[in-house]
Amino acid sequence: MNNPTNPFAKPDQQKPTCMEMLQTILDGQATEEQRKYFKMHMDHCMPCYKSYDLDMSLKQLVQSKCCGGAAPSDLIEKIKQQIEQKSS
Amino acid sequence: MELEEEVPKQNYSEKEKGEIFNQEFLPHINSMYNFGYRLTLDRDDAKDLVQDTYLKAYRFVESFQKGTNAKAWLFRILKNSFINDYRKKSKEPAKVDYQEVETYYNSEEVDRQITPDLRVESLKDMIGDEISNALNSLDVDFKTVIILCDLEGFKYEEMAKILDIPIGTVRSRLHRARNLLKEKLSEYAKSMGYNKA
Ligand SMILES: [Zn+2]
Repeated sequence: MNNPTNPFAKPDQQKPTCMEMLQTILDGQATEEQRKYFKMHMDHCMPCYKSYDLDMSLKQLVQSKCCGGAAPSDLIEKIKQQIEQKSS
Repeated sequence: MELEEEVPKQNYSEKEKGEIFNQEFLPHINSMYNFGYRLTLDRDDAKDLVQDTYLKAYRFVESFQKGTNAKAWLFRILKNSFINDYRKKSKEPAKVDYQEVETYYNSEEVDRQITPDLRVESLKDMIGDEISNALNSLDVDFKTVIILCDLEGFKYEEMAKILDIPIGTVRSRLHRARNLLKEKLSEYAKSMGYNKA
């Protein structure tokens, strides 16, 4: 694309690759402007469209499957006890 | 985000120390425990690691500036405790070689080809422990960046400080970590017959 105002452009005006743009989005580092640009970009870039879908699904799955729930209930008590012992 | 070496020592009263500990440190205990567990893969070791981290945080509370990013500070302490204490004990093999990683931005086409053939549909079938197991099986440095970014939502700059690496390395390590995770999952998918290509 010959869009002169690619918001992903680096200071040296180098054109960012699809992969770099996608990663910025995935890593939650994109600005509002960059997200909009990428959305439009996906309309005409099949590889980005497909990768985005897969990578986003994976990211969401990691979030929902790997968060691990609560720490053991006695852990906070143990920590507090140890601190009290040390400071008394 | 401020970390200990950049901040002048604070002067807290005992009461303030307790408040910081209870209000800024303890609320992160679930995230800390999960991080500890993913690193050690053992519930008791995770408890020890988290406990150790909190004791250190309390001991060095004067290096912590109230109202700054406590979570990043705690994660940094935990990660350092893991490397310095736990890892030594278990004598893990040396770090992986990242040489190849640094060149990846110049080889987009190659990269697309080696990206494992994994489909969204196969992912949706993974409703058990596949994802969690795949994450756990990654090398420590790779699973760490995925945990920090995807589970905990840290930004590059924060991750760079937690891990003591440049932002460029954070980026490339994340990229590599995601591909490794996809590789693992595509193996699962294949073994379970999800990929009917
Ligand atoms: Zn593209």
